[in-house]
Amino acid sequence: MKSVNQEAVEQDPQQLHEDLHDIWGNPKGLKALTIVNHTTLGLRFMITGMVFFLIGGILAMLVRTQLAMPDQDFMSPEIYNQVTTMHGTVMMFLFAIPMLEGLAIYLIPKMIGARDLVCPRLTSLGYFCYLFGGIILTSSLIIEMAPSSGWFMYTPLSSKEFAPDLGSDFWLLGITFVEISALSAGVELVVSILRTRTQGMALHKMPLFAWYILAMALMIVVGFPPLILGSVLLELERAVGMPFFQVAGGGDPVLWQHLFWLFGHPEVYIIFLPAAGIISTLIPVFAGRPIVGYGWVVAAITIMGFISFGLWVHHMFTIGIPQLAQAFFSAASMLVAVPTAIQVFVWIATLWLGKPKMKLPMLWVMGFLIIFVCGGLTGVMLALVPFNWQVHDTHFVVAHMHYVLVGGMFFPLIAGLYYWLPLFSGRMPSENLGRWGFWLTFLGFNGTFLIMHWTGLLGMPRRIYTYEAGSGWEIFNLLSSISSFVLSAGIAMVLLDIALHFRFGKPAKHNPWNADTLEWANTMPPSAYNFVSLPNVETRHPLWDDPNLPHTMAEGKHSLAVASHGRREMWGTDPISGKVREIIHLPGNSWWPLFAAAALAVVCLSLLTKVYALAGVFVMIAGIFLLRWSWENGAHPKAAPDAGVKPGDPPLHSRTMDGPGLWAMGVFLIANGSFYLSYLFGWFYLWTVSPQWQMPESPPLSLILMGAAGVAVLAGCGVMEKLVRGLRQQRDAGLGAGFYLAAALGALQVGLTGWALWQAELAPTQTSHDAVMLVGLVYALFHGGLAVVLTVLQGLRVGYGYVGAHAPFEPGVVALLWRYNVVTFGLLIGALAVLPRVLGG
Amino acid sequence: MERLNFTHPIHLIVGLTLWSVWFVAVYSGLSVACAVNPPPPEARSLTLLNAGLGGFTLLCAAGLVLLAWGCCRTAKQHQGRQRFHAVVSGWLYLFSAFGVAFAGLPIIGVPPCL
Amino acid sequence: MRERNSATSAIMSCLTSRRARQAACWLGLSLLLSVAGCTGDRSILDPAGPAARDVRLIWWVMLGFATIVLIGVTVVWLYAFKPRNVERTPAQERRIARRWIIGGGLVLPITSVTALLMFGVPAGQRMLPLPLGEPPEVIEVIGHQWWWEVRYPGAEGGEVVTANQLVMPAGEPVDFHVSGADVIHAFWVPRLGGKIDMLPGRVNKIRLEADEPAVFGAQCAELCGVGHAHMHLYVEAVPREAFDAWLAARQDAELSELATQDSAHDSAREAFATHCASCHRVAGVSQGDVGPNLSDIGSRTMLGAGVMAMEEGAVSQWLQQHQTLKPGNKMPAHDDIDKDTLDALGAWLETLTP
Repeated sequence: MKSVNQEAVEQDPQQLHEDLHDIWGNPKGLKALTIVNHTTLGLRFMITGMVFFLIGGILAMLVRTQLAMPDQDFMSPEIYNQVTTMHGTVMMFLFAIPMLEGLAIYLIPKMIGARDLVCPRLTSLGYFCYLFGGIILTSSLIIEMAPSSGWFMYTPLSSKEFAPDLGSDFWLLGITFVEISALSAGVELVVSILRTRTQGMALHKMPLFAWYILAMALMIVVGFPPLILGSVLLELERAVGMPFFQVAGGGDPVLWQHLFWLFGHPEVYIIFLPAAGIISTLIPVFAGRPIVGYGWVVAAITIMGFISFGLWVHHMFTIGIPQLAQAFFSAASMLVAVPTAIQVFVWIATLWLGKPKMKLPMLWVMGFLIIFVCGGLTGVMLALVPFNWQVHDTHFVVAHMHYVLVGGMFFPLIAGLYYWLPLFSGRMPSENLGRWGFWLTFLGFNGTFLIMHWTGLLGMPRRIYTYEAGSGWEIFNLLSSISSFVLSAGIAMVLLDIALHFRFGKPAKHNPWNADTLEWANTMPPSAYNFVSLPNVETRHPLWDDPNLPHTMAEGKHSLAVASHGRREMWGTDPISGKVREIIHLPGNSWWPLFAAAALAVVCLSLLTKVYALAGVFVMIAGIFLLRWSWENGAHPKAAPDAGVKPGDPPLHSRTMDGPGLWAMGVFLIANGSFYLSYLFGWFYLWTVSPQWQMPESPPLSLILMGAAGVAVLAGCGVMEKLVRGLRQQRDAGLGAGFYLAAALGALQVGLTGWALWQAELAPTQTSHDAVMLVGLVYALFHGGLAVVLTVLQGLRVGYGYVGAHAPFEPGVVALLWRYNVVTFGLLIGALAVLPRVLGG
Repeated sequence: MERLNFTHPIHLIVGLTLWSVWFVAVYSGLSVACAVNPPPPEARSLTLLNAGLGGFTLLCAAGLVLLAWGCCRTAKQHQGRQRFHAVVSGWLYLFSAFGVAFAGLPIIGVPPCL
Repeated sequence: MRERNSATSAIMSCLTSRRARQAACWLGLSLLLSVAGCTGDRSILDPAGPAARDVRLIWWVMLGFATIVLIGVTVVWLYAFKPRNVERTPAQERRIARRWIIGGGLVLPITSVTALLMFGVPAGQRMLPLPLGEPPEVIEVIGHQWWWEVRYPGAEGGEVVTANQLVMPAGEPVDFHVSGADVIHAFWVPRLGGKIDMLPGRVNKIRLEADEPAVFGAQCAELCGVGHAHMHLYVEAVPREAFDAWLAARQDAELSELATQDSAHDSAREAFATHCASCHRVAGVSQGDVGPNLSDIGSRTMLGAGVMAMEEGAVSQWLQQHQTLKPGNKMPAHDDIDKDTLDALGAWLETLTP
């Protein structure tokens, strides 16, 4: 494979740069809204995240002002509850996650030697969903109708009865909207890291940062759907009265807690892993040597990714579950100490064996270490059940959590921002102002939160808007509040430094920190297409092993230095070995993501204002926009009508059976499966432990109709599989007719399921049994319908000549959805129609 | 054992996936048992339920140790990428075995349904 | 106890001092409290029962160990920055690295968490409702927005119901059966032991024991709405005989007689029947069950779930200003009732002192 595209060597580098720029460059003016480029969108994510960080920070200062002295009436309890709820919500959902996603979106393609992420339009959709969702959510503060039940939204406090105004709806709808962005970033980061690394970059040679982001992205994919399910159920309860979480209707408020923390605990690690990735990237660079124990770190990342899903109950130790069950979660929580300690000591050993330099980013790394180790140690304490029973929901936990999140995310983030600033802007930060900023932040932070441990031990509960004089907490709260203002002064100084450096920073020399990874082979600031030519990388430290690499890459001396075809191209490589498999061609700038996100925003707003007809219409419109977007793929004139490649080059991905779209569908189905498993968990959970669960005398769902629907979807899937097998052997006779047959079978499944639903005469507002059943059937109907629509579109595309033996890629993607439908529908029949008959009430 | 192809990176996640399956099985088994037929509190931790959970835990831990040993043997026969995957997977299997044993430790002394 | 008394008097003087001196007052007071060793009636570090004492011991041991680890890691980290001019072969480097990673990354955490689990888990068993030779006293506590309902199902002669006060026997284990009437609250007496959530539709159990007769502060620990900060409870542990007598005085018959005996309060009782009876119960007078039971309100030390101290005229003041004292509470503001009626109501209710 080394010879591919070697003829590109002869081209004039400047000409090549201009040609590539014509294809990849960003438009200006209003058309800038169509940009799909990862560099631009990564920056947009980060800047928007910083704005939300400032909003969340101001809310935090309001809280500290209120608590500075006892018996204050600076804020009423209602406003205080809104402010604390929004502080947590904004920091977690609108700052931490999108900020780190933005950094990953910006860096990952550059680090692995690609030119963009694998689904550029999805990046754009994600950004607009984040922006619109964030604006909707924060606007609730302005109208003083913000959610006030805590960022964890425990029912029944957040339910219609106890929170009748729109606050909870803002939270549920806004967060779900924002989560579209997290999920889409998760899906495409996974696929990009696995399938678009540059030639030769085998799995065990990729930068550690990519491992961290891979783990984070997979955790997002698995971890966010339970919360989406929970939000959908709670919103249904609030809007139409389905009693999922109401004891009287057979529901259970504890189910919400399970669904929330099933997401909420992994979330902490979703935030920590990329931050640790920053640390693992910076330490070797400033120690001037490769990290020791690369394999150890990979193992530690994997362990964290898994174990963090087994800890969620440690947020619920006081809800009264059996002690033995608590002990499992307690032990699992303590297990996390192992991978954390492995990483800490890998970092120490790397410094020990290197020649470390205390540059500004390293100062933040040091701050991270001290604060994070402290937070980790209190975390182990909290994992112990009897101690947890004492300090749970006190300021001790508030302190612990800020040590972990600020120490584990904010400090590494600032270290990373300082480190990559020269790449963003081509200028160096100021060491002086930066050091002042660091020390103020570090001291202010510890002053605020170290003391807060003590306040908690003295018995101060969380989330109280005031406390009485004489409680013994006054001095500690006052000191915390004073320190918090020092902390914000430090952060202001850091932000000022970063803002000023764009104007006054010294111009940076190329690769100013002498780093080893490929992102520093970019120009500073980077061009829209990242690299003129894509190198063959078989080492973990490409820039240390070949310091001349950036020049030869810029001169077009490596692969894919072709612009004449007018396509946006990069390598599709083998996920394990990094061997080149195909050329991935990416779509260009597009309005569809913005339109789709805007339509979804209208859906969100109309659900909020309870204009359900409008919401229905705009769901359809958003669907049409998304399908229209998917139309411009493969052999479509706007994508790659001409499959021509240079002799010796691999084919375009749309002319193979295994492009990145298939992987994206696979990863999306993992997320969808996580949603579905959470649903099944909810069904069985309510069935077994809900205090007043009511199982009807005779199961309402017809086994015959459901079974017939199952046969129909199985038959449809069989037809799809047969067509795909034919395409694999270059046969496309009867392809269009085959698609219509499969679609007809899918429509039969939808019809039969609908009939079963109609016949069951459910009363979803009466019992949670019927409500849960309805949700499952609607899920099946939606997925059945989606498969039908996509299959009909495939039939149409055969007619247009976009799909066939010459372009066989897409049917395989749709067939994967069919397989998923068969499995989930089978499980649904088992759970809703068969098991109740077998087990009875 | 040879047919498991320990040099494939899928083994990086199999061990911990088995840990998760063990965890879910033990937790949900306990919850269902306590909801359906809880043993008397007088028995403290000397119940059939504890014995069953403990036996299952030992079995899982032993299986994971076996897989770790398989990885270790495979790693010795390979170099480069294959060796890397086998070694890291081996450690991960070992950690998963430890994780099963460690998180299962309370089964010995804690009454199940209180 | 003497320390506590001096602290209490300091609090009182603080409360009565002029606003200008207040800041200086808490500063001195808090420093005094912290130096005196973590007092304050809700401090985990000042245990008054076996369960809380165990947890305090665990805390100090864990803190000591954590401090050593934190300092150790920081020192090693800073030491690693020291410039060194040692040339090492790759084999030596590998050996050093492995020593750090296995020693610090595996041995250190595994031994410490194993030790923690072995010592820590048994400590929690004290709070479990395991069977005892003689069944313990059961006290039911039900959380409402934003007050506490307290029931004694085991009282001789019939169940005793009260609100916003909790009297328990000292020196013996007591089982608390807690639940929530509306949203989730949490029951927590820090000086006796851990907290437990009060969930609607479920009953959670926790066993606590007070060593000696004393009063302990308690506060709702789960966000339960706008009144969350004003949901206090004072738990009074008394000797067994005093406890039995206390219960006996609260039998329905005794309370009915107390409420109806004095004809001087007839007009107050009438006003109560008009304005209060649909929500509040007073034995022998009304059956309301929305708000707290008031049958023995005169004997309680605090009003409004710990918002103000009970003293002469306090009930009337509460009735006039309760929406300021406890914003958002569910009792309607009594603007429509004249002050004389409220005074009369207050005077009568204050006589309900069994």
